[in-house]
Amino acid sequence: MDPAATSPSSRPPGPALYALRTIRRGWRVFIFYSSAVVLTGLVSMLFADLIWRSGWSTSGFCLMGLFVILFLLTAIGCMHAVYGFAARLFGGDIGITRMEDYQAKSLEGISTALIFPIYNEEIVRVYEGLRATFQSLEQTGQLERFDFFILSDSTDPDKWIEEERGWFELIRELDALGRIYYRRRAVNEARKSGNVRDFLNSWGRRYRYFMVFDADSVMRGETVVDLVKLMEAHPETGLIQTVPALAEAESLFGRIQQFANRLYAPVFIAGLNFWSKGFGNYWGHNAIIRTEAFMQCCDLPQLPGRKPFGGQILSHDFVEAALLLKEHWQVWFACELEGSYEEAPQTMIDNAARDRRWCQGNLQHAMVILAKGLRGVSRIHLALGILGYLASPLWLLFLVTFVWMLWYKQHTGLSDIMVHNFTPFLHLSGSEHAFLIFVICMAVLFLPKILALVDLALDPPRRRAFGGLAHATAGAVAETAFSALHAPILMLWHSQFVAAALFGADTAWEPQKRTAAGTGWAESARRLGVHTLIGLVWGAAVWRLDRRTFWWFAPVVAGIVLSIPLSVLTSRAVWGGRARDLGLFLTPEETGPPPELAGLRARMAALRQAGKTAPGPRDAGLAAAILDPYVNALHASLLRENRLNPVYARVLAQMGVGGPEVPLLRERLLAEGPEKFERREKLLILSDAESLPWLHRQVWLRPAGTLAPWWQAAVRKYAH
Amino acid sequence: MVLTESPGRLGARPLEDWNAAYAKVESYFCALRVRNKLLLGRLVAQVLERAMARAEQEPARSATELAMEEMDRLVSEWFALVLQDQTAGAEVLSTRGRLALLLADLSGKWQDQFLRPGPWPPEFVSVMRETYLRAGPDFQISQMAPRPLDLGAIAALTKIGRLPYARMAATWLLFAGLLVLLFILTHH
Repeated sequence: MDPAATSPSSRPPGPALYALRTIRRGWRVFIFYSSAVVLTGLVSMLFADLIWRSGWSTSGFCLMGLFVILFLLTAIGCMHAVYGFAARLFGGDIGITRMEDYQAKSLEGISTALIFPIYNEEIVRVYEGLRATFQSLEQTGQLERFDFFILSDSTDPDKWIEEERGWFELIRELDALGRIYYRRRAVNEARKSGNVRDFLNSWGRRYRYFMVFDADSVMRGETVVDLVKLMEAHPETGLIQTVPALAEAESLFGRIQQFANRLYAPVFIAGLNFWSKGFGNYWGHNAIIRTEAFMQCCDLPQLPGRKPFGGQILSHDFVEAALLLKEHWQVWFACELEGSYEEAPQTMIDNAARDRRWCQGNLQHAMVILAKGLRGVSRIHLALGILGYLASPLWLLFLVTFVWMLWYKQHTGLSDIMVHNFTPFLHLSGSEHAFLIFVICMAVLFLPKILALVDLALDPPRRRAFGGLAHATAGAVAETAFSALHAPILMLWHSQFVAAALFGADTAWEPQKRTAAGTGWAESARRLGVHTLIGLVWGAAVWRLDRRTFWWFAPVVAGIVLSIPLSVLTSRAVWGGRARDLGLFLTPEETGPPPELAGLRARMAALRQAGKTAPGPRDAGLAAAILDPYVNALHASLLRENRLNPVYARVLAQMGVGGPEVPLLRERLLAEGPEKFERREKLLILSDAESLPWLHRQVWLRPAGTLAPWWQAAVRKYAH
Repeated sequence: MVLTESPGRLGARPLEDWNAAYAKVESYFCALRVRNKLLLGRLVAQVLERAMARAEQEPARSATELAMEEMDRLVSEWFALVLQDQTAGAEVLSTRGRLALLLADLSGKWQDQFLRPGPWPPEFVSVMRETYLRAGPDFQISQMAPRPLDLGAIAALTKIGRLPYARMAATWLLFAGLLVLLFILTHH
């Protein structure tokens, strides 16, 4: 691939053009958020009036404050759908794809890297996703303009070896030697952002653009080519984020999330694009990035203070987008581009585990939000990310305050003395007044769903892809019912995560489970037992205080009390399948799978049937790296190549590779087997390019009696 | 093939020992994906023959040990000839040779050439000597450097946390705040 990073066209726009666009976008931001503020103001007045009617109190004041914040967040969400719906209905230059004809752009001389940062992933799925993208790109005839990089940060020795073996099989099957590359970092400093930075420091200058993929991402070849052309057509753009469609879900939970994503996302993203325009955001993957701009602007600083708020920035994507915008590069959502996919967690518990990581990362943005020089829009993106998680404890506080007021009224024996409201022409009783506010809240909550359905109804091809309007409507109703039960569970979880983050609990970086194997009852009880207890106590308390109020609380309490069966049953693929048979939660990728996903699905099914997706026995990777003549040679060869990079060589030396500990460990490994070895010791052995060939010969040549029984058993597995 | 000098013995060792040696040599060739049974049998016999030639002179060593050494030697000699590399150390040569076999797809196409004396088909020689593995393009090392980011008011807050007894004072303030809140809530 030709070095082509420094292009004369890669420069930010001049100040005059920039200022012009800022004003236009500034108006959009003002109009959009003013709509949400006006709506919040009006409804808050009604709510304040309701509280005023029964007498102001401190708790009433607290309730009022919480209501304003929570309603504002809901109204902002609703406005995204309203403006997005209008934008889609009436058209206009809402997206980067409609601003200029980019299709005529040539890819001649342009080099792009497609990078797949991975960390102890289910490697078969990762490589099959890569294969789908590779083959789709091959069909465009533009494959030679792209290089693929598997960038491993895996710390599991067995995964490491499995990745190398899988990589070699992949390049052999696809005839992609010199097209698909593999690199593993010895130390995964700064996690994913460090992994990407390491790639850029090693090879970034060779590529004008790079595209970041998640472990479960798949992209259509034409979409990849379109993104490069868009970048060429818009030299002022530093990053284009696609809107990945959730796909390949099998469990009921996964299919509900997938359906919601596919049905509602278009209007929401169109709304987001309406106000953000070239000041969009980055979601960490399925995006194309101008290498030079990123390398100049986006090396993340360490935050002052201790973890969890200090140290490295966890949710790096938002901050990287903010840093690009700060230096006058544009960041766009390519909301009209199809053919970008990812997978979602298959169970409620996996979803919560992912939320926990994101929660800490988003809360950490509070450290950056006031940074000097950031664009106002970036601060909005960061604030919305923070509030997305803070909303849960605020909602909990709102409910607790309400119950407190109820208890206080019962405890003191005071009765409500309703006075006239300040809007006497409404002629509402206290109950009617409260009901009106409730109806407005529900309308604001459900309007986006209704607009998404209307949007679907107006688009016949898309409507058919969802299995028809009736099926889509039934799916939306069922999804809404599930969301009503799921939301209170998320409220408790997020409140717990926020509290944990604020009190300094760090987040373990565990890989996401991406299968539909399902959640067991014991696991669910362990994770949700306390939630259930809280729900029971809460429900009983409200029932005792006021039975009429209890029914208002019933949906919240029901979700929490039923959280264990809900998490277990929705995690099952069989229920997902039954819903599919009923025509519920169908998505375009299910009714008419695109070739890249159809191929992926067929290959994964075949691999599952052949038992190739099941994890191997413990230390299988280590055994293969030492015993198997080819795996050993491959591994040693990759280690030697890695040492050519002075940075890697230095890190390996710091780890102790080539040091005095290694010969001792080798002998111990032969005499005792790997069972008593710590992960660090295994990684040290596996990182030493000289030790691997030596161990290979020793295990095969030494008399069996001098080796641990573990090795003797391992050798026997190669018997004819 | 050496003939038995007494019933139940071969090369001054019990037949069972040679059976074990056969099994281990065969295992290694299986690990190299030599799948053709005829070739596999011949290769193992070739190795055992060399081992038996040494057996009389080295009575203290087991048949398996001798056979595996001979197998290693035979393979290394063959790698040196095919790759035309007489200078590399045993382990480096072995690694290079096995990698070349992997890249040449020994198991799929060239099983019959393995350990065979030359001359070999030019295509085989070419693929063994010239194909090399590239896990990445040439490094083009650079260094991203973080630009200073003034965090504004937040930076000042993080410094407060470093003051002596700051956490203790914050805890007391929080406690006092809770008391005030409790008082207000219960006295309206």
